[in-house]
Amino acid sequence: MADENALSLDRRRLLETAALAASAAVMPRILGIPRAFAQAGSTMVVAAPATPQSLDCVFDVSLGTFEAIGALYDGLLGFDKIPDANVPVALREDIAFHPEKPGGVNMHGKLAESWEIDPSGRRAVFKLRQGVKSSWGNELTAEDVKWTWDRSFALGALGAFYTTVSGLTRPDDVRVEDKYTVSFNTDSPNPLLLKIHTNLYTPVYDSKKCKEVGGSDDPWARKFIENNGAGFGPYALQQLVRGQQAVFKARADYYGGKPAIDTVIFKEVPTSASRVQLLRGGAVDIAQYLQPLEVVNLRGAPNTVVETVPASFMIWVELNAKIEPFDKVDVRRAMNYAFPQAQVMKAVFQGLADPLRGCMPNIYPGYVDGLYTYDYNLDKAKELLAKAGLGGGFKTTLAYNAGDPVQEPIAIIYQTALRQVGVELELKKVPAGSFYNAVTERKQPMIFYVDSPWCPDPGYSLTLYFASKSYVNYSNYANAEVDKLLADTAATADDKARLEMTKKAQEIIMSEAPWTFVAYPNYTMARKANLKGWTYYTSNNIRFQDFSRT
Amino acid sequence: MTVTGSTIPAVSRGAGSFAFFRAVLRNHPSFALGYAIVLLVVLLATFAPWVAPFPPEFADADVFLQPPGWPHLLGTDATGMDVLSRMIWAPRIDLSIAVLGTLLSALVGSVLGALVGYYQSVRGLARLAAGFVMRAADVLQAFPVFVFAIALVAVFGQSLQSIVLAIAFVNAPIYLRLMRNQAMSIRTMRYVEAAWLAGLPDARIIVRHVVPNAMAPVLAQLSVNIGWSILLTASLSFIGAGVKAPTPEWGSMIAMGYQNIITGQWWSSIFPGLALAVTVFGFALVGSSIEVLSDPARRRRLSGRLTAARGAA
Repeated sequence: MADENALSLDRRRLLETAALAASAAVMPRILGIPRAFAQAGSTMVVAAPATPQSLDCVFDVSLGTFEAIGALYDGLLGFDKIPDANVPVALREDIAFHPEKPGGVNMHGKLAESWEIDPSGRRAVFKLRQGVKSSWGNELTAEDVKWTWDRSFALGALGAFYTTVSGLTRPDDVRVEDKYTVSFNTDSPNPLLLKIHTNLYTPVYDSKKCKEVGGSDDPWARKFIENNGAGFGPYALQQLVRGQQAVFKARADYYGGKPAIDTVIFKEVPTSASRVQLLRGGAVDIAQYLQPLEVVNLRGAPNTVVETVPASFMIWVELNAKIEPFDKVDVRRAMNYAFPQAQVMKAVFQGLADPLRGCMPNIYPGYVDGLYTYDYNLDKAKELLAKAGLGGGFKTTLAYNAGDPVQEPIAIIYQTALRQVGVELELKKVPAGSFYNAVTERKQPMIFYVDSPWCPDPGYSLTLYFASKSYVNYSNYANAEVDKLLADTAATADDKARLEMTKKAQEIIMSEAPWTFVAYPNYTMARKANLKGWTYYTSNNIRFQDFSRT
Repeated sequence: MTVTGSTIPAVSRGAGSFAFFRAVLRNHPSFALGYAIVLLVVLLATFAPWVAPFPPEFADADVFLQPPGWPHLLGTDATGMDVLSRMIWAPRIDLSIAVLGTLLSALVGSVLGALVGYYQSVRGLARLAAGFVMRAADVLQAFPVFVFAIALVAVFGQSLQSIVLAIAFVNAPIYLRLMRNQAMSIRTMRYVEAAWLAGLPDARIIVRHVVPNAMAPVLAQLSVNIGWSILLTASLSFIGAGVKAPTPEWGSMIAMGYQNIITGQWWSSIFPGLALAVTVFGFALVGSSIEVLSDPARRRRLSGRLTAARGAA
C-alpha cells in the first residue's frame, strides 16, 4: 500500500514536473499576454464602419480614408484649438473670424514654421520647418510642397477642386523660393490663401519617396499612395487589410514629438449595434458613427463616455429645380412648410441634432441666423401649393439611402405630413453602393443628401451647393444674382465685404428654398472613460495623435 | 371488422363529408389549429380596414417607440406608426403575394409537368423538348432559392409584380417535377391507353384523364408552399428587396425594428416576427392535413380509425 502511495505520489510529481516543463515551453506565448496588456496603455482600438478604401485623398472620400489621412499626413497649417462650449473636456478648432490676425484666422504652423500674406491678397509665402522627416526618413523641403500641388494639377479629381478654390490656375502658381520656402500666387485676391492649408485634404507628400517608387510608369505614385502612407504625419501605416483592419504605428521621429498612443488598430465593424456592444464590453476604445438611440442608450454605461457636439454635418433633401413641380419656388417653399422639423428632431435624432435653419453650417463664421421662415404649417403649405396651381396636390418620389438608418424614418414621417396637403410621396430606397451615383445623376425629383463643407468659410460653403456651375450643386439650383455674389466673394480678400455678400446670398437662397431643410446632426464621440484629448474637427474625423490615456 | 374502401362512399357527400371533416379535426387538433390560424389570417387581411385601430401608414412622430399599452396595444415603431394596425394589414400584402406567386407557379409548373411527363416516353422532337425543359428546371433549382429571388427582383425592379414573379419562378420546378412523375405513371394506365386507342387527341387525354388524376400531391404542396412563400416575401423585404417602405409587411416591419432591439425597444420587431412564424406554421399544418386527406390510402386508414373509435364509444 505504502509503496503504491509512494508510486502514485511520484506519479503526481512526475505529472507536475511535466506540466511545468510544458508550460515553460509555451512560456514566451504566455508572457506575451501580460506584455500585450501592458501595451494596452498605448494601444487604441477603434471600431469603425469601414476601413479605408484608398489612401489617396485626390480620389477617395470614404469614411476610413479621413482618419488615415489625418494620421499619415500633415499639412502646412492648423487651426488653434479651444475648449468646446458645451463639452469642455473636448476641444475644437477656433474657426471664428479674427480680424486682428493675418488672413483673419487663428492658426498655428504645422509643417510651416512661419507664413506671410501679401496685402494684395494674391500671394502667401510659407517658411517650412527644417529637419522634418517623413515616415520614410526623407527631409521636408519646398520641393515636396510643389510636387504635391503639381500632382493635384496633373490628376484632377478632388485635386482640381482644391486648386480651383485656392485660386491657383497653373502649376507655376506654386513656386519654390528656396530649399525651405514656398509661395502660392494667384491672379486675383483669394480669401482662402491660408485657410485652405488647414484642410485635411491638402497634405504634403514625401516627393522623394514617391518619385522613387513611382518611376517613369507612374510618375505621381498613384499605386503607392493608394496603399501606403507617404507623408510627414505622426503615424506610419503598418498594415492595411481592407474590410478587416488598418494598423497605424506612432513615429518616434515625428517633428511634433511621438504621439502618446503607440499603436492604433482601426477595425471594420459594419453594424453600429456591434460597435456599441464592443465598446460596452471594453473590447474597443472608440465606437464611431452610432445611431441616435444607441447614443442615448449608451449614456451612463460603466467605463464609457459619450460626448456630442455641434458639427459641420448637414442633412437635407434636394428639391430638383429642373424637375416639375420643383421648378416653382412656391412649391419648394410649401415642401418646407410641410416638413415636421421639430418632430423629426425628437423622434429620429433624439435631440442629437439641431434643426437645419440655414444653408451652411451654423457653427461657421458668416452664418446668418433668422432667415428660416418655414416652421411647420400645413395651411400655409396648402395655400402656396394652390398659388402654384397645384391645389389638388401632386405625386412625386423621394429617394433615400438604404445605408443611412435615419433617412427612412424621416422619409416616412415626411410622407405622412405631405399626404395631408395632397402630396403623394413614393419612397424609393437606393442601395448604399449606388446612392452617390443617384445623387450625382440629378435625375431624382427629391433625394436626401448629407454633407459637410470642410473649409469653415461662408464663401466656400455656399459656392459648393448653390453656384450654378458647382459640381456639388445637386439640386440644380440656379440664380444669376447668387452666382454673381459668390463669384465676387471668391475674388476678394476683403473680409467685411465678403461677409456682406455671403449674407445677401444666404437671404436669397433661404427665400428660394432649393432644399427641404432637415438637420445639423451632431458629431458624437463614444469612447472609454480613460481616453483623453478628443478634438472635434470640421472635417468630422478623429486624429489619433490627439488621444492619451489617464 | 375490416373497413374497406367501399365504406367511404357510404359516408356520403354533402353533410356526410362535413361530418367526416369534423371528426378528423376532433381527432387531429393540430389540423384544427392550422385551419383556425389560416382562417384568422385571411379574415384579418379581408377586414383590416375595419379591424385595425389606426391607419397603417400614418406616422405620428409624437408617439414614436411607445411600449405596448393604451391606445397602441402593441406599441409604436420608430416613426410612430401603430404596430398592431400594421400587423393586421400586413397579411394583405404577404398573403396576396404568396398566394398569387404560388398559384402562378403551380399553374405553369403543372401544365409543363403534365406535358413533359406525357411526352417523355415518346420518341422524337417532343422527347427532346421534354428533356430540355427538365434540364432547364435542373439549372433553376441549382441556384440557391433566395439568391435567385434577389437577382430576379433586382432585374425586374422593386415592385409587387416582381416579387410575385420571383416566387413563381423559384417554385415552378417543384410543381413541374411533381406533375411529371404523376403524369409518367398515369400515362401507362390502361384507361389512358384506351382513350388513345379510341382516337382522342393528346390534349384531350391530358386535360381529361391525366391532370385530374395527378392533382392530389400538387394540392398538398400548395399549402406548404404558400407558407414558405410568405417567408420568402418577408425575407426579401427584410433585406430591402421586397415591398416599398412604409407598406405594412411583416418582413419589412422586422427590418425596420431590429435596430431598436439592442436599445430595448423589442416590440416593433418581435410582434411581426411572431405573426410571421405563427402564420407559416398554420399553413404547414393545413398542408399536412391535405396531404393525409388527399392520399386515398391514408384517408382510408384514417377513416377506418375514426369509425373504429366511434364504434368503441
